Amino acid sequence: MPTIAKRSLELNEDIMAAQSESTLDAVPSAGGSPPPRRRLRSNSSPMKLSPISKPMKLGSPRKRLSTCVNTRANGIEKYFTQKKVQTLCKSVEKPKWNLKDSKQISEVKEALHVSTVPSTVSCREDELKRVLEFLKQCIYVCGCPGTGKSLSIEKVKQALVDWAGEAGFEEPDVLALNCSSLTKTSDIFAKILGKDQTPKEVKSKTSSLQLLQNLYSQKPLYSRRKMTLVIADELDFLITKDRVVLHDLFMLTTYQFSRCILIGVANAIDLAGRFLPRLQSLNCKPMVITFRAYSYDQILRILQQRLISLPYTVFQPPALELCARKVAAASGDMRKALCICRSAIEILEAEVKESAENLNSSSVVDAFFEQQTATAPAPVVKKQETDVVTIGHMASALSKTFKSPVVDTIQSLPQHQQIILCSAVRLFRGKKKDSTVAQLNKSYIDICKSTLIPPVGIFEFSSMCRVLNDQGLLKLGGQSRDEKLKRVTTNAADEADITFALQILLMLDTGGSHFPPASKFKYKVRNLTFYSSLEIHCLDYELCISYFELHESEPWRN
Amino acid sequence: MARENQAEKALCLLRSRLCDPNFAFKALSHSDDSNYSKLKFLVSSSITEACNNSILLLGPRGSGKIAVLELVLSDLLQEFPDMISVIRLSGLLHSSDNCAFKEIARQLCVEHQLVFSRMASFDDNSQFMIAMLRECGLAHKTIIFVLDEFDLFALGKQRLLYSLLDAMQSVTSQAVVIGVSSRLDADMLLDKRVRSRFSHRKLLFLPPAYEDIQRLLEHILLLPTDSSFPPDYAIAFNAKLQTILADERFKEIINTYLNLDSTVKHLLRYLFRAVSDMDLESGMLSLENFKTALSNIQRHPKLECIKDCSVLELYILVCMKRLEVKEQNSYNFNAVMKEYKSIHDSVKTADYFARNVCLRAFEHLLQRELIGFADNRGQNQSIEFSPVKLLISSHELHQGMKSYGSCPAILQQLMDRQK
Repeated sequence: MPTIAKRSLELNEDIMAAQSESTLDAVPSAGGSPPPRRRLRSNSSPMKLSPISKPMKLGSPRKRLSTCVNTRANGIEKYFTQKKVQTLCKSVEKPKWNLKDSKQISEVKEALHVSTVPSTVSCREDELKRVLEFLKQCIYVCGCPGTGKSLSIEKVKQALVDWAGEAGFEEPDVLALNCSSLTKTSDIFAKILGKDQTPKEVKSKTSSLQLLQNLYSQKPLYSRRKMTLVIADELDFLITKDRVVLHDLFMLTTYQFSRCILIGVANAIDLAGRFLPRLQSLNCKPMVITFRAYSYDQILRILQQRLISLPYTVFQPPALELCARKVAAASGDMRKALCICRSAIEILEAEVKESAENLNSSSVVDAFFEQQTATAPAPVVKKQETDVVTIGHMASALSKTFKSPVVDTIQSLPQHQQIILCSAVRLFRGKKKDSTVAQLNKSYIDICKSTLIPPVGIFEFSSMCRVLNDQGLLKLGGQSRDEKLKRVTTNAADEADITFALQILLMLDTGGSHFPPASKFKYKVRNLTFYSSLEIHCLDYELCISYFELHESEPWRN
Repeated sequence: MARENQAEKALCLLRSRLCDPNFAFKALSHSDDSNYSKLKFLVSSSITEACNNSILLLGPRGSGKIAVLELVLSDLLQEFPDMISVIRLSGLLHSSDNCAFKEIARQLCVEHQLVFSRMASFDDNSQFMIAMLRECGLAHKTIIFVLDEFDLFALGKQRLLYSLLDAMQSVTSQAVVIGVSSRLDADMLLDKRVRSRFSHRKLLFLPPAYEDIQRLLEHILLLPTDSSFPPDYAIAFNAKLQTILADERFKEIINTYLNLDSTVKHLLRYLFRAVSDMDLESGMLSLENFKTALSNIQRHPKLECIKDCSVLELYILVCMKRLEVKEQNSYNFNAVMKEYKSIHDSVKTADYFARNVCLRAFEHLLQRELIGFADNRGQNQSIEFSPVKLLISSHELHQGMKSYGSCPAILQQLMDRQK
């Protein structure tokens, strides 16, 4: 594939070739060594123990499969030297950039993309070993999303096929399907049957299930028959009310002459116990292998491993550690960690682009040509600072991902809508958790009176309530034709958000702007000593919420 | 005459600008920090780097999410002519998985000149979509899925979202999924599997700051000084407009208006109203246009209704109000008459009318929907015996009576006494 091939990994030589010709490149003209930050990661990294790699998701990688299946350092070397010649690059969108950066950035993004399959596995060796050992029985693989289940099973499939080939057995038929794509749950049997070489008896009334059952209970006509490896992803789509399909599926492996190995993948840990109790008594309980959520070490290791194949440093180590720590604390989802790394790179890209534009507009390009040596040091310093992803970029990427947009939106709501939210919080402060629009209106008018803001009429009020309903801040329910009788509720979580957002507004000095959102609120706030700007990171948010709960402030006073 | 023609032409131009959301949002999309440039950067980098991405656009209705998206898509279609195909789905139309896959298959067929069969099953359609994604990936064509009303896709089993986002997890496909929703917690509605596959990028569409609004007003309302308008007229118009925009009272008006709903669409609606009132003789906009537009838009129909009521009808309304205050939740016309009589007995007013006259007034009020039946069974009984209720609030009644020309003072006192 042309584009894939073009995105080659670069070597030092390439870097230097690009450097000498680009104009705005802040490269020290002294010698051919790259700036000290971009040290070449040695390719002789310690080789991972198990040969099975750990890609992130289904689908064989187009570019790396042929060359990097068995990860060995010299394999990568070979890849490097082969692809060195490719210099065309699809960087049409950044004409002002120096070529080096754009190529490398797309490299890095590729390496960190969720769909890229890296060549080495890490942190899943135990599970894979167990899976391989117990392939005789049926297996149930469970774990949270993003923990590498489908991926590992894909590699198991690969390994099994390879092993069967090496050991002289006939290669098994593999059926990998996603149960969410089945229209009817019993279609799965038809699919399993389709893989088997049985005469087509679809015209008869017997269902595929019965056919399979017949097949597996009789002695086969010919001596050896192929094994079928069935990998059923997202098994919980097969759960019906009477759990018949799931049950029959697992029972298929128990027949005397069964030739199928079943691997089921789902999220619930107790699926087998809860939905298949009868299997226990029949002594064919599936082997349950739990893929636990990744820990901090594991996430860090996987990230580093993905970046190890690139010949330059992209992240500052503390930045990676922060990302790994935060994601491990939140969910242990590897996809999230990769996403956050990529958005950190994008933030860096945007910053560099901005500074490049500033450089463009301010510096004199001609002068640069003439006095290359003289002006080189100053831009070099700037470039060095922004060339790697620092902990600041990572922190803002983290806050963008984990921050809920509710606080921002509430702060930027128009004044009357904020008052409506205030009146809702006040109304629902006691035991009452829902009310009607008319009562909300009363509460709203009270607050308006106390702050000397003229209240709006009922039509505008109900249309504002509807706008807030659309945004998910209030919940309007009820089928009443009369607007006034619609029920209004608000989420408990939102109350804290609303409180928080409006408190921040009260403390902001809006000075001089024509739309002062908070200056008309005459509320007094007790003892709030912290100040913050509008940009509140996720870490601070939690701190502030706990502060409020501690103090239980009563802000709605005249 | 020529002056009027110019004025009409100017009016036409301004109105057509105000009706076109793309024009308005172009003004807001210049800075690097705007949502337009962020979105464009994201989508164009996904296209050129051939990687998959997903993003959610969040914001209240009318804040320009679709408008900005259309701007970005049209720009990208010009920049990369053959590398993009766009599939649009709406949560209101295609929230069921069958419908959604059928629609995707149909649009893909139309794009690539294939024949679409309506008999294709759900299975076939989903296989087709995955195959097309693979093919387009091989051909370096990116498919952009635009999911409008994204939160409606998150009802039910979320199969469509799951298969789309799952297909994007493999290297073989090149797709960008752009979800547009007005619910802020749209991504919380997703199933955990779908949420894990969704890259948590969100673009928040917040209402613009005042400087942006100023820029927007200038962008829309200033006449172009090229040859389409005679230069002296255009220059005079623009000068007058600039003085209005700088006026404190104008800022006050805009402030008041935007305190209700600060989305751009809302502002455009108001501007349309103001511009339509332009005086065609002078051909200039004035501050009065904006003021009257404000009062026209913020109407209180029930208050206006009260102004048209007769005094007897006001009496009836006040009686009903008093009954409500006395905690009599269910009352009918007879009870109202009793109250009316008791008022007349306590305060000798000149406005005591016979029962049938009162009934007529009562019926008028019913027709005008200032009062209504308390339940639907009242249609069968006669008017006198079915329970009724007030359909306007005491606040509005109070205000209406205050602005009533010849409201007897007694009524005001009666209203206040019970408060």
